[in-house]
Amino acid sequence: MTMPPECPTVSRRQFLAGLGATAAVSVAGYSVGIWGRNPAHAATPIGDLGPGADRTLVLIEMGGGNDALSMVVPHGTARYFDLRGNLAVSDATDLDGSIGLHPNLSYTAERWKQNDLAVVEGIGYPDPDLSHFSSMATWWTGVPGGLGAGWLGRYLDATVGAEDPLAGIVVGPGPSPALSGEESFVVSIQDDTGLRPSVPEWVDEPDELTAMWAGFANSPVDSPGLFGQVTSAIEQTVVAADHLSAVLTPSEDAPAPQAQGRGARTLATDMALAAQLVISDIRPRVVLVHGFGDFDTHEGQASRHADLMTELDDGIRAFFEIVEAAGASDRVVVATTSEFGRRAASNGSGTDHGTAGAHLVIGDRVQGGRYGESPDLSSLDNAGNLIHTVDYRSYYASILDEWLEVGHQDILDGSFETLGMIGAGHVAPIGATWKRFGVR
Amino acid sequence: MLLRFPESHVAAVRSMAASGTSSVSDRERVSHVVRRLGVGANALSVSEAATIDDAIASMLDLRTPPAPMPGFEPPTDIESARTQQDIQIPLSHWLEQMVLSPRPIEERLVWFWHDHFATSTRKVRFPYLFWQQHATVRQHGIGRFDELLGAIAKDPAMLDYLDGRTNQATAINENFAREVMELHTMGVGGYSQDDVVAAARAFSGWVVAPGGDDRRRLPDAEPWSAVFVPVRHDTGQKTLLGVTGNLDMDDAIEIILDQPATATTVAAKLHEEIIGLSPTAVTRQRLGAIFRADWQIMTLIEEIVADPIFVSDAAVRSRVRNPVERLVGIVQGIETHPQVGRTSMAILNRVGFVPFSPPNPAGFAGGARLLGPYQLAHSLDVAGIVADPAPDYPVDEIFARLGLFDVSEQTRDVVAAPPDPLSRITLAAASPEYALT
Repeated sequence: MTMPPECPTVSRRQFLAGLGATAAVSVAGYSVGIWGRNPAHAATPIGDLGPGADRTLVLIEMGGGNDALSMVVPHGTARYFDLRGNLAVSDATDLDGSIGLHPNLSYTAERWKQNDLAVVEGIGYPDPDLSHFSSMATWWTGVPGGLGAGWLGRYLDATVGAEDPLAGIVVGPGPSPALSGEESFVVSIQDDTGLRPSVPEWVDEPDELTAMWAGFANSPVDSPGLFGQVTSAIEQTVVAADHLSAVLTPSEDAPAPQAQGRGARTLATDMALAAQLVISDIRPRVVLVHGFGDFDTHEGQASRHADLMTELDDGIRAFFEIVEAAGASDRVVVATTSEFGRRAASNGSGTDHGTAGAHLVIGDRVQGGRYGESPDLSSLDNAGNLIHTVDYRSYYASILDEWLEVGHQDILDGSFETLGMIGAGHVAPIGATWKRFGVR
Repeated sequence: MLLRFPESHVAAVRSMAASGTSSVSDRERVSHVVRRLGVGANALSVSEAATIDDAIASMLDLRTPPAPMPGFEPPTDIESARTQQDIQIPLSHWLEQMVLSPRPIEERLVWFWHDHFATSTRKVRFPYLFWQQHATVRQHGIGRFDELLGAIAKDPAMLDYLDGRTNQATAINENFAREVMELHTMGVGGYSQDDVVAAARAFSGWVVAPGGDDRRRLPDAEPWSAVFVPVRHDTGQKTLLGVTGNLDMDDAIEIILDQPATATTVAAKLHEEIIGLSPTAVTRQRLGAIFRADWQIMTLIEEIVADPIFVSDAAVRSRVRNPVERLVGIVQGIETHPQVGRTSMAILNRVGFVPFSPPNPAGFAGGARLLGPYQLAHSLDVAGIVADPAPDYPVDEIFARLGLFDVSEQTRDVVAAPPDPLSRITLAAASPEYALT
């Protein structure tokens, strides 16, 4: 960084030393140091962490509408082969004689054998309109046709509120509406650089630049409207960045950004990052991985969906390898979502938008087996779509009640049947000395 | 870029706390007009406009002829057609136009339509198709919506992205049919699943002519153009939105255009793009009726701009500035590094906002979804596009070069604090004021 000629006597270090209080921000009970400098800073202890605090839900969002019939294959049903023709998955890994998993889900199939995989079939919502965007809104909010806060945002509001800046983390470039709540806030990151900006090599003090940026957060008055939203988002970013920098170690040879799309990101890199967060002192309650793949396989489905299944399996495997090595695999459950399943019949090279889907729930605490009910392939709706057998809110209710240990009635605005797919009984807490953000 | 900056312009920057009022200053209002009707901040245009009316007139001025598109020879074989580096040909031209074009409203509309009729390199692997589509959007973007929609329906990039090219009588593919009604025209709710199927059947038969060795399949067609193959078209009776007949693509587009919801939905989206606020029900109907009369896009824009709410306090800084707008504004006003192009691409890629690469058919996310911690932290990445050594502008000049005139005292203090010019410029560009437009 080049010094301006008119102030040769003030070095950047001296300047920052003189910056004093303005570089430290006090937000929601946390004292925040300069970014990346203060991993062992003092933070306000979080008192009663409440139920669910020692567990993490990792949600994998399969955007575009996953073809569930190619993932959980009803290969014991002749009608499946009639409907799908050349797109039928004929070499599924058999689970019980009537259904099988896509052959590329080899690690996932291993977990079935270990009784760690719940396969939930027939999940859908009433009056489906086959639109990506209204179906996504339905899944994000937990309210059919819903607008407003996300179902996990409401969960975070009801448990940690504004107290824990890293209770909900999105792996992806932007926040997910599923996690947006009234009070809680959601961090999104894409790689192990966390929330460090990427500045060029001629900026020789990047941490100091970001420390100065934190000054925008230190708003003397609550500004109204959108401007206030920005200053409070900066404030939250500064808090989260500080905590993240303490637990994430950037790899030396970070892949160079690619020109387009997701670049070097794959589900495996995203899930490895999710695992790193889970085993860290951050202990997020929810990690949501989004932006994975294009499941909207109207065309070229056979190869595209097979590749996505490989990526899904690699991602799940990468995640569990890391958490198992850290001895943390009993504190995590991985579950999938997607806005809809696809049309029962092939359109020739792919499948159009559909309704009910199947989802996978994996973890040591999961009671392996089949849940829900396979949709009847001989009894489709007028548009040729599957008729759902399980309301998606039952799926959510099961996750909330059985894993996150909150009453789903408060979160989902209604009472729904739970499926019993995750083991009852409280996970042994990590002890009274449970630590967070370096607090002892 | 702007090496000399008018003194009077810099003098207009004011601290809002010091002025004792939160109402919008005249210069900030001019800057608002310039930001919304062009892409970026166009600080020079702000400095040249004496009044709001001047600013509007100059931003809508289309008398200077457009810059010619760069040359891009049609690839001779599939292998070379997939050369991803070639996306730089349309992309560089486009980013340059955003920064420099003397036809600002055209750039605003090209951006808007590109997002509205989203296609993406995440699926379409032929850069030449984006070049073609970009030319189509430039051709019709300030013209007529009915012609733009008709051209997009037969656009090779769209035929690939939403699978029209595989849609044939024996294998109907609904992808484009649904999205054209949901995203490009009427909006969800105004049509049934039967209408989606009927539209898909009407659209069937269009393919993208292959280039190179595969040309023998369609020897008479221009390589990489859209071609109608009659044997692939479903010639049966169809009923779309109440109209029955042996409908083809042009019929279906006309029927969709005839739905009143098409004009009101698209006009309302343009109103939000320009003004930043949702139109009232009355305005929606009024704009829809005007739009439907002749589909002239500039007539609609003039109508939107003439609404007093456009320059009202409520409209100023009522939108979150997207990463492309951020970047373009900086390049327009601040002296840049020789590697600005490469660094800009890296910056946009990091936050998932590369033109021609939206995440899904609905285009890029906007609003609060651009205020995530990741995006905010990376707003400092723009340090990489500033010249090295950084130009030593006075603090008020930095703000003026970024088109910021009403600046909070706190922001001014933070930006003025560091002793080096690069930090000052970077902080101004990462300030809460610059996050909004």
